[in-house]
Amino acid sequence: MHVLELERVTKLFGDFRAVDELDFSVGEGTITGFLGPNGAGKTTTIRMILGILKPTSGRISVFGAPSAMEVRERIGYLPEEKGLYKKMKCWAILAYFASLKGMDRRSAKRRAFELLERYGLKDFAEKRTEALSKGMGQKVQVLSAIAHDPDLAILDEPFSGLDPVNQQVLEEVIRDLAARGKTVLFSTHVMQHAERLCDRILLLARGGKLFDGTVPEALASIPRRVRIETDDDLRPLRALRDVVAIEPWQKDGDAAARGAFELELAEQADPQVILRTCFETGIRLRRFDHADPTLHEVFVKLVGHEAREASFR
Amino acid sequence: MIYILRVALREFAENVKTKGFWIGILIVPILITASVWVGNLLERTKPTRHFVLVDPAGHFAGPVDEALVRIDARAVLQELGTYLRQHVEPGKLLQLLPDSGASPFESGEEALGRFTGEDDVALDWFVKAGGAETVLAALQVVLDPEAPPFVAPRPAFRRVELPSGVDPNLEPEALAQALKPYLRGEGKIEVDGAPAELFSAILVPADALTNIPSGPASAAAPIQYWSTNLADDDLSNEVERSINEELHRRAFEEYSVSADEVRRIQRFEAPFTELDPKKEAGEEQVGLADKIRQWAPVGFVYFLWLAVFMNAQMLLNNMIEEKSNRLVEVLLSSVTPSELMLGKLLGIAAVGVTVIASWVVYLLLFLEYKAEAEWAFELLRVLKSTGLVPMFVVYFALGYLLYAGVFLTIGSVCNTLKEAQNLMMPIMVIMMVPLVTMEFIPKDPNGTVARVLSWIPIYTPFVMMNRAAADPPLVDRAGTLVLLVATTVLVLAMCGRIFRVGVLRTGQPPKLVELLRWVRNST
Repeated sequence: MHVLELERVTKLFGDFRAVDELDFSVGEGTITGFLGPNGAGKTTTIRMILGILKPTSGRISVFGAPSAMEVRERIGYLPEEKGLYKKMKCWAILAYFASLKGMDRRSAKRRAFELLERYGLKDFAEKRTEALSKGMGQKVQVLSAIAHDPDLAILDEPFSGLDPVNQQVLEEVIRDLAARGKTVLFSTHVMQHAERLCDRILLLARGGKLFDGTVPEALASIPRRVRIETDDDLRPLRALRDVVAIEPWQKDGDAAARGAFELELAEQADPQVILRTCFETGIRLRRFDHADPTLHEVFVKLVGHEAREASFR
Repeated sequence: MIYILRVALREFAENVKTKGFWIGILIVPILITASVWVGNLLERTKPTRHFVLVDPAGHFAGPVDEALVRIDARAVLQELGTYLRQHVEPGKLLQLLPDSGASPFESGEEALGRFTGEDDVALDWFVKAGGAETVLAALQVVLDPEAPPFVAPRPAFRRVELPSGVDPNLEPEALAQALKPYLRGEGKIEVDGAPAELFSAILVPADALTNIPSGPASAAAPIQYWSTNLADDDLSNEVERSINEELHRRAFEEYSVSADEVRRIQRFEAPFTELDPKKEAGEEQVGLADKIRQWAPVGFVYFLWLAVFMNAQMLLNNMIEEKSNRLVEVLLSSVTPSELMLGKLLGIAAVGVTVIASWVVYLLLFLEYKAEAEWAFELLRVLKSTGLVPMFVVYFALGYLLYAGVFLTIGSVCNTLKEAQNLMMPIMVIMMVPLVTMEFIPKDPNGTVARVLSWIPIYTPFVMMNRAAADPPLVDRAGTLVLLVATTVLVLAMCGRIFRVGVLRTGQPPKLVELLRWVRNST
């Protein structure tokens, strides 16, 4: 059952195509990461899903309804740019947003105190939000987005501005939701979060979809690599069927260290074969580094060019 | 609907907690109370003014002293009137008043009215009867035993001798020179052994009367009034009046006319009544109540203006907060822009109504408290018996919605208060018109200017309120109301469209052309 479906959704701002013929769907109870460089159209897409913006063309369905407004009580939303009413008390904000999502006022208040207690903000419940630090304020906002216990939580950059401990608390919040069968869609720039949390990732660039699949699928989409350092002849390795290419390795753009190489492996290849070959042919290794690719690498490889261009636009 | 109410409820609950709200609640009671009590207080605490009168020919010192005695007596009599009103039943008053020949009063109530008014006959009677002490002694038996002792007001003016060392025979110029340090406060005079300030000096030239009976020539040396305080002109007026009276008295003598006869004749007054043909037969006479009915709307216009713009301003600030905090996006994921806008309009209107209701309650309580004063009693009756209050409510509602729509729209397209203030400037100028015209519209309430302004919807609430006393023609009352309602609906609809687009917009406020485009294709 699909909680959310987008079909050929396009949004134009004047001549600018913010979102271009985007198709995707999100299944119930899943955590989906919405990734992409700045200006990829993530926030615009999210705003269209919520019915804040109307798509220029295409169809969006949320819980089977054509407009999110019809099912607003089932959706929780945390926008990218965050703010709170300065003079309101923390619990009152949570209760207010929950009541705007259809909760009656008494349960909204009870739920507000419950959430604040569960996620370590009990002492701040009666404080005005202007007394909170930025990170604390943001936590309150995240909680306000899920205060009415939505079936679908859409969180735009929920991790930005949080310290590592609170990032973990937030991951916990997201996992709790999913564990109770709720659906979560969140956007982020930090690939580690996506990698740890997501069942599925959706990679956007220039308003279009670049990748749509599970995390293992994403990781498999780029070749696996082994990094070695040696002064010996590499001919025996070049001869291996499992090795597709050998390049001098530049670590993070530094000049190539002497004798450092990166070996691109064939699909399904076993890195142990490389190690064994080195032993047998007498190649002395100062370093042997084999790690699965990270989502970060996938991201850089797939959209690195776009992202750099976008940042200079 | 429930969402509109919830937005409204938050707006109300949060605004009620702000300082601005409480200032709004308190400002009118403070203004009303202050305007009454501070005036009284200033009058009471004003020190006795000391002055010197140099009159070498000795013509005027007597008349001036006499005039001052009457001024003081009048103040005492007025104070005594207020005191007696509080502590004696008027019914028991008349028989006990000391008789100085024939009593000039017909009833106790009438006597008290004349005590507190500016009645020369009552004053003559009071002076002849022997002043406050005699009157109070005579009334002792009917005086409320709990009543505090009567405190007579301090004399306002007192003539003192020249400071020692100043020669009274100097020429006016030299005398003025000698007195200047005292008048400027650099030197003190001595009164009853204590140092005091010299308030003013009046120097009469020796030949002041030489031109009588042909009347003083304009070229003659003038009587000089010296004082650093020219704002308080009570003394100079009084001195000038009594000197002129003395001048007249002497002229009458010169022409062998009896001065007493003249004074008696001067007090003749032809009975004069103002009548209003619109009132019922037999009750056409115009009294204080009618004056109040005529002018009360002006006060209401002022309150209306204050209420409308205080609230519209509150709405603007509030919108800007949500815009600059980006709260609006979360809100819009929960409520539609129309729900948000209506919720805000309603919530702030509730705040406004609370403030105004508190004003009205205070005003009524204040008037009840002051009801012994005729003006307060009549004003209270006018408020209760005429349609002013319901009219105020209707025009407040419509005026508020009209202006609030505009303010909210400005709020929705701006990101900072500064941007909003720039857009507010022209609106503020337009808004000043009802305040400027407030005073003169009642004088010609159905004239061209008033009628034209009434038909301009943004001014309708204020101007129609302003004209309320004059029974404007039905076509004006109904027509302008319909036009106002229609305009309000139209403006709110337009504002709704701009609001929907503007509220999510960041960056520069839009140009007017852009706004018009938003109104035309609202997507």
